[in-house]
Amino acid sequence: MKVLAFGEIMDGGISVFSSVAKVDADLLIISFGGSIRIDNPYRYLEQYLSELEQLLPKEKIDRIEFDFKELDFCNSNGFYIIMDITEMIINTIAGPIAVKRLKGDDWQQETLPILLNVDEPEIEARTTFEEFADI
Amino acid sequence: MITQEELATTNINMRYDLSPMKNIIGDLSGLLGNFSDELIGAFYPKNVSKKANIVITELVNNAVVNSPESDSKISLEIMINKDLLRIRVASAAKRSQYRKVRDHINMINSTGDLRKLLAETIRERRKDRLRGGLGLIRLAAENKFTLSARYRAPYLLIDSQIGLGGLS
Repeated sequence: MKVLAFGEIMDGGISVFSSVAKVDADLLIISFGGSIRIDNPYRYLEQYLSELEQLLPKEKIDRIEFDFKELDFCNSNGFYIIMDITEMIINTIAGPIAVKRLKGDDWQQETLPILLNVDEPEIEARTTFEEFADI
Repeated sequence: MITQEELATTNINMRYDLSPMKNIIGDLSGLLGNFSDELIGAFYPKNVSKKANIVITELVNNAVVNSPESDSKISLEIMINKDLLRIRVASAAKRSQYRKVRDHINMINSTGDLRKLLAETIRERRKDRLRGGLGLIRLAAENKFTLSARYRAPYLLIDSQIGLGGLS
């Protein structure tokens, strides 16, 4: 497994959110952790997004895994950057999408499918959700 | 030994009053949201305490960002018992701001398909990367809270509540 890119939000000198892109054979794993509470997360994650855009086409990837289990909180301003990252990946890689999320988290249950654009039949057809209990 | 079910009958009432608003320079909504999440989560299931966190974060942040009176106060009241979670935020506002919030809440409350409203609003506002405008819809569509607004000059009071039957 290799780390492809890493994005982070710092607030008050502390890392409050991170996202890591890893490649394991033909699988791309994008994990999200921490909390998005700041007003303009795009400012911090623009470079991460740009790196992914450049690096992904060079990799031989057939499957996607989005892991949201460690994402504790996402404010409304965080929605757009989650959409930016996932949309770019979904548009770049045509394969199946596995989404790991928390069973007891309202935003991951109700809003995350909207952000992933699962209403689109083409995306819905290749997306499966895996539910995890909140720790 | 006390059971989880017994713990989730605990009555908790909290109230915070902070003034003047101009002194609020840090992430007050995050502090209050996270603390309440921890406290409520010590008695109630995580899905309930997380709801409180989201509502407190959105409503307190809205109040701090939109209050025109820098010398005024913000009040947060949290009440939870085995039947109900209620969160109320009061902050100074112009009457025109109250009318705007009231109309927005009326629109939310009269919408049949809240998920569709949330999806359309997210997509519409994303085009211009607009800040705000999602919070109250999110509380209703995602977290299933019932919202209402009142005006007691010069304060705008926003109430959000959810029955806990079946949740805790």
